[in-house]
Amino acid sequence: MQNVQRRLASTATAQKLKPTIPLSSIRAFPPPQALTPKDSKSPVLFDSDAWAASQSPSPAALGAFAHRVGLGKLSTNPELMQQACTHESITLPYSKLHPNKSLPLTNTNLAALGNSLLGLFATEFVHASYPHLPIRVVKAAVSAYVGPTTCADVAREMGAAPLLRWYRAPKTLLRPAVLHHEALSSVSRALIALVYQERSIEAAKKFAHDYFLSRDIDLRAMIKLMNPKKGLALTVEKFGREKPVSRLLKETGRFSAAPVFVVGIFSGQDKLGEGFGSSLSMAEFRAAEDALQRLYLTRTPLDQLQLPSQTFTGDVFDGLTSVKSSPYTAGELGHTEVNYGSAGRSSIINPSNRTLSEEELSED
Amino acid sequence: MATRTATRPIFRASLRSTQANGHSAFIPQCRKVVFEYCNKWPSSANTRTFLLNHLQSVAKENPHVEFVVKQRNQKEPVVRGFYINNRDKVVPLNGFEVNGIQKKVQLLLDSSGAKIKPLKRRTVESTTESARGIWSGLHVDQLFKI
Repeated sequence: MQNVQRRLASTATAQKLKPTIPLSSIRAFPPPQALTPKDSKSPVLFDSDAWAASQSPSPAALGAFAHRVGLGKLSTNPELMQQACTHESITLPYSKLHPNKSLPLTNTNLAALGNSLLGLFATEFVHASYPHLPIRVVKAAVSAYVGPTTCADVAREMGAAPLLRWYRAPKTLLRPAVLHHEALSSVSRALIALVYQERSIEAAKKFAHDYFLSRDIDLRAMIKLMNPKKGLALTVEKFGREKPVSRLLKETGRFSAAPVFVVGIFSGQDKLGEGFGSSLSMAEFRAAEDALQRLYLTRTPLDQLQLPSQTFTGDVFDGLTSVKSSPYTAGELGHTEVNYGSAGRSSIINPSNRTLSEEELSED
Repeated sequence: MATRTATRPIFRASLRSTQANGHSAFIPQCRKVVFEYCNKWPSSANTRTFLLNHLQSVAKENPHVEFVVKQRNQKEPVVRGFYINNRDKVVPLNGFEVNGIQKKVQLLLDSSGAKIKPLKRRTVESTTESARGIWSGLHVDQLFKI
């Protein structure tokens, strides 16, 4: 309607909402190097993918990302978040596009440092929480907590995917192809390193515990037992207990199509584990599995958890040791795990009499 | 030496953990809010008032969100919310008063971005009472403890 169109709304709005950034910094699109000048006959060679990849995210987006992760007041330097979100694969296309500009700071060193820190915190946490867990399962758990897949997932859940600056570099003779999840995982690792750099190792530990070690893993699925009866027999021997004996506790439908047997595995009077199955051997297998899982999955209660990193008093070079180390009592050195099925390399040959030298034999 | 295993091997790339947002640290799910308004039309008048008077305080209270203001002439006013799960919510702002616009913006900020699942379904209607009674969490032997 004409009346409505004549009723002009306040034009002062557009003026008041004028951006405070100068006009010179508004990015020109399409970029001048992409356009073919009228004089030239041949078209301009322009890598639009590289140009798109080398565009930096807006400072507002980076600031919002920092606040979302709780690092809004980490540093007065706004370039830090930019650095954390820049993968090294961007340097080659960037240098080709902007030969005169200095290369952007990348997160490679930060990611390497962050990876080491994460490995430290995760390993001590897993080992202190599950003191009887076999080493191969500890390794798998650490990979699950702070491995490359999880680091990429954490970065994605923080909202770093639209801010990541990377380039899908193809495979070369020296290195494999750069994948998206690889580039993403460097972001979350770089953040840990930034916290360590700007604050202290305790702050980095808290960050790691909040974002990585509070996540859920399926530890039971990582425990694969090839021969649980043998493993249990060896483990029981290590603990100095009586040999395990399996006894049938309950059964039903023995010669029918659907039998159920419940078998318990005992060491003397103590029942170590219980298992069910449609055959006696199946039930016995499950009982041995249950016994070993009850041992391996013993977890230290959170209020009794003692981590060696409690003894850190902050940076060695930092004179302000305001945070005093809390008293740490080392965990009991329990029985070492059995060789069978422990480190994941079942082809280890233990020295027998034939392999031992004469001197070693005479020592016994 | 047995080379065939009874169980499937675990590949290192498959080792991952599932998220537990809120257990220790909480990551707010809204990452960006974009306002699109017309400079001239009266349908955008209340939106313009909101942008001039209230947007700054809302942005200050939510430092984890990126606020963007776009002029989109000859169109109705709209606010878009972008979320971490790569979804977005679009809310038209014509017909709302300034406090209504505030509520819609707050709705976008509070949302997780997940699709709204309809839970209103026809309830079960029966003439006979249930055979075993309806379960109550307060009338059990051991109450659930977190």
